[in-house]
Amino acid sequence: MSLEAFNNRNVTEGDYFLCDIEDYPQDGWGKFKRVVKRTFRGELFVGLWVVMREMIRFDIHTIQYPQEKMPIGPRYRAVHQMKRLWESDTERCIGCGLCEKICISDCIRIDTRIDENSRKEVTEYTINLGRCIFCGYCAEVCPELAITHGGEYENASDQREHFLLYEDMLTPIDKMKAGKQLEFEGFGSITPHEDERVKKTPLAY
Amino acid sequence: MSTTINFTIDGKAVSAQKGETILQVARRNDIYIPTMCYISKTSPCASCRICSVEAEGVDGFILSCNTPPTEGINIKTNSAELEQERVNIMKLYDVNHPLECGVCDKSGECDLQNKTLEFGVAQQNFSAKDQLRTVKDWGLINYDPALCIMCEKCVHVCNEVIGDDAIEVKFGGYSSTIIPKESETLDCTFCGECIAVCPVGALVSSDFKYSANAWELSRVPSTCAHCSAGCPLEYETRHSGINGDDSIYRVKNNFEFTSLCGAGRFGFDFNNTERSTSEDFQKALEALKSAKAIRFSSMITNEEAHILQRLKEKLDLKLFNEDARLYASFMNSYASVSGKLHYSGSLDAIKQADAAIVIGTRIATDNPGVRYALTTASKHNGAKIVYAHPMEDALMQNTVTQFMKYEVGTEEGVMALIANELLKNKELPKEIRKYFNELDLGYLEAESNVGDDELTLMTKSFARAQNKVLIIGADIFAHKRASNIAKLAAIIEKYTDFSLVVVPNEVNTLGVSLVCDLDVDEDLSNVVGYNAHGEFIISSLDGADLSVGALNQQEGTVVSIDNRVLPLNVALPFDGYTLNDIASAFDIKTKHTIDYTKELDSSKGFKSIAFDDLENFLSPYGDDERGYILDEVVCPVDETLEEVAELPEYNGTVVYHANPVLQFNRYTAKTKQLEKDTTLRGSAQFAAAAKIADGDEIKIHLRSGVVKRTFKLDEELKGTIALNPTFDILVDMSGYRFEKSKIVRVV
Repeated sequence: MSLEAFNNRNVTEGDYFLCDIEDYPQDGWGKFKRVVKRTFRGELFVGLWVVMREMIRFDIHTIQYPQEKMPIGPRYRAVHQMKRLWESDTERCIGCGLCEKICISDCIRIDTRIDENSRKEVTEYTINLGRCIFCGYCAEVCPELAITHGGEYENASDQREHFLLYEDMLTPIDKMKAGKQLEFEGFGSITPHEDERVKKTPLAY
Repeated sequence: MSTTINFTIDGKAVSAQKGETILQVARRNDIYIPTMCYISKTSPCASCRICSVEAEGVDGFILSCNTPPTEGINIKTNSAELEQERVNIMKLYDVNHPLECGVCDKSGECDLQNKTLEFGVAQQNFSAKDQLRTVKDWGLINYDPALCIMCEKCVHVCNEVIGDDAIEVKFGGYSSTIIPKESETLDCTFCGECIAVCPVGALVSSDFKYSANAWELSRVPSTCAHCSAGCPLEYETRHSGINGDDSIYRVKNNFEFTSLCGAGRFGFDFNNTERSTSEDFQKALEALKSAKAIRFSSMITNEEAHILQRLKEKLDLKLFNEDARLYASFMNSYASVSGKLHYSGSLDAIKQADAAIVIGTRIATDNPGVRYALTTASKHNGAKIVYAHPMEDALMQNTVTQFMKYEVGTEEGVMALIANELLKNKELPKEIRKYFNELDLGYLEAESNVGDDELTLMTKSFARAQNKVLIIGADIFAHKRASNIAKLAAIIEKYTDFSLVVVPNEVNTLGVSLVCDLDVDEDLSNVVGYNAHGEFIISSLDGADLSVGALNQQEGTVVSIDNRVLPLNVALPFDGYTLNDIASAFDIKTKHTIDYTKELDSSKGFKSIAFDDLENFLSPYGDDERGYILDEVVCPVDETLEEVAELPEYNGTVVYHANPVLQFNRYTAKTKQLEKDTTLRGSAQFAAAAKIADGDEIKIHLRSGVVKRTFKLDEELKGTIALNPTFDILVDMSGYRFEKSKIVRVV
């Protein structure tokens, strides 16, 4: 569909038509008459009648939150999750700090160091949910698909600062072992059949 | 014969000076030729071959980095074949290069990464059997051979610029690596220049490794605050921990044109973390009101010195700073003969020199900047370097061509002998000629132990030299006869083609000596110390009565060895009191300390330029655009020299106050990474004379008091002089650096 129809601002042609709007009252008496008319129009009873009708029919759509919850879409951006590697169960995060760098509300803090095995280790990782705007940039920039958004949206707190720690976000090891880690399916995730497209490095020795 | 060569690069008419290469001319004319192993300050490594270009009428490619152009030749920097060649080279570089960019320290500023993307190498077409390459831990430096691309930049800077010559290439085709030279592990001065030049993550700082990435750090350009060389550097800061307080993660420098020693590179965490209360501030004001004098060190900015000078005038105080006072009096004596206030030399002059005399300083540790300049001169110009000192220095062995050993305390005699030798065939005013004719050369040579043959050898080796430098160091300033030595130096500078460099002790000795009007340090009571000892101490060091910001926590300027006024910037915030707050309480009011930058004394050569208008960068062509150079100041001339006094004798156990490598003062002593060797180091001969052995606990009786140290036998030293470090103690700068001392073993 072309955008031409939207870009055309010439109101004299096309499907434009004028609304029939009553003139605004000019004097006090006119205004008084409008108030009285609006007050006793009886529109209130229209709404009440709908409620009454549905109650009698017993056709109720209310979800009994928090006992009952709606399923949430895989691309919904709620509280972050840290994934583990399928092959070794170790953390995917390599501590590159790109999420911290890209975070526009400056709510991610990461500290890394060199560990005993000369590997890069994440020592501290926090997200201040009080500042997070759930824009999803961190998940988008992550080169390892380590940080993703989960569906957990209940993060009310009695404080303005509300920190989420690395351990809270990391897939619990028992869940991982049970093979129940959910893979992120949103933008940037691995497309299906990716392994068929991988080329091998020549190793002709 | 014309010295310029005219030719074309990509159709553009360009001209080269004699000795310039095609690449240098191309860069000067903003023509891009890719390189991997080229580094401006060394001779070309010629290991990458990416800089290949085509020359009309020449078969095959030529390397632009080490080929000088010929008249009228047409150079082509781009063609399909060249592109193919370069892509193939990049492909070879990428063979089995570990895919760890996500964690690699170099990621984001990696030459290999950039060039791989530039040439669009997306897959590996070549194969080679990978080998086991283990990571080497060399102390402050960490080497990962798997990441190394064998560009040899590190080897070249280590050998040609630094002079340590500590690493070399172990050749073996695909299994080539960089190894420590003639040693199991790296034994060098740990300048870290190899880390700086490494284009990949092979050589990294052990402390920095895996703690942050290039894209997380913010850069603060500033000037190194440890010695007077005034090296440009960038502090890289980032919040540390989840609370978000900033800290310095590492220091980087523009390695293409400048160098940095290990103190600058690894000794960056000297910031003051202590904060004072308003009561402390009130106490400081009270202390100043009743004080008779302020004693301060030269580790301050010109602006602070200016405030101290204003306080002196306002409160009728005395200002004590022996280091700067002695330097100032040396320079005043110099000025009285030369007729100008500032010496003519600079680090650049040393780099370009082909003859140099170093006298009165253990230069490699006193001022590494000068050492690197001398190394550059030696390796690139084949400079003849005469090193006159009572002690040999193993660090200067590769650089120095003639070691002129003189007896301790005879500097005046040596200077007179050198002056006499250099001025032999020069036109001199009658008075001065008469002075030299009347010198008792026999006595001077006998007492100072500098032979006639040594002086003749020096003259011979200097015969063809064009650019000559005389470098005078810190031993001289506190010498009893400093004033006459200064005059002799001025005579040499005036009547020969030597330029002169007088190496200031501390980072801003030169600036303080110009800004402040200093008094002789009397041992008064009621002295307020500013970064120095006193009854009430205002300091950026630990244990102060009132804490102020260190030199990486404040804005201001310092004057470097080049007579250049250089800006310092705030790398880390200091949320506390400053000297300006104190001065404001005494009604010397201004909003910021740096408001004084443009008020610095123009009669001493300072320009009236506001701090915010000072630049702090090096141009892409390597021109130093930092700050400004002091204006020359004309002084009244009085060429009368003093008689050379009787040369003193120093017998028995003599201690020389000299710091080990990478240590300068209590700020460097505070840093986490730098080694703190506080032992007294001496030769076996010294140990025998002092009746002590390796590892003994000893007490050294010095002018300024008794110091407890451990004795360490140093195989590299000779003679009966031991080295006493001063970076960890408050030293009395007013005395001669060599000291007869009584050494007692603590039982």
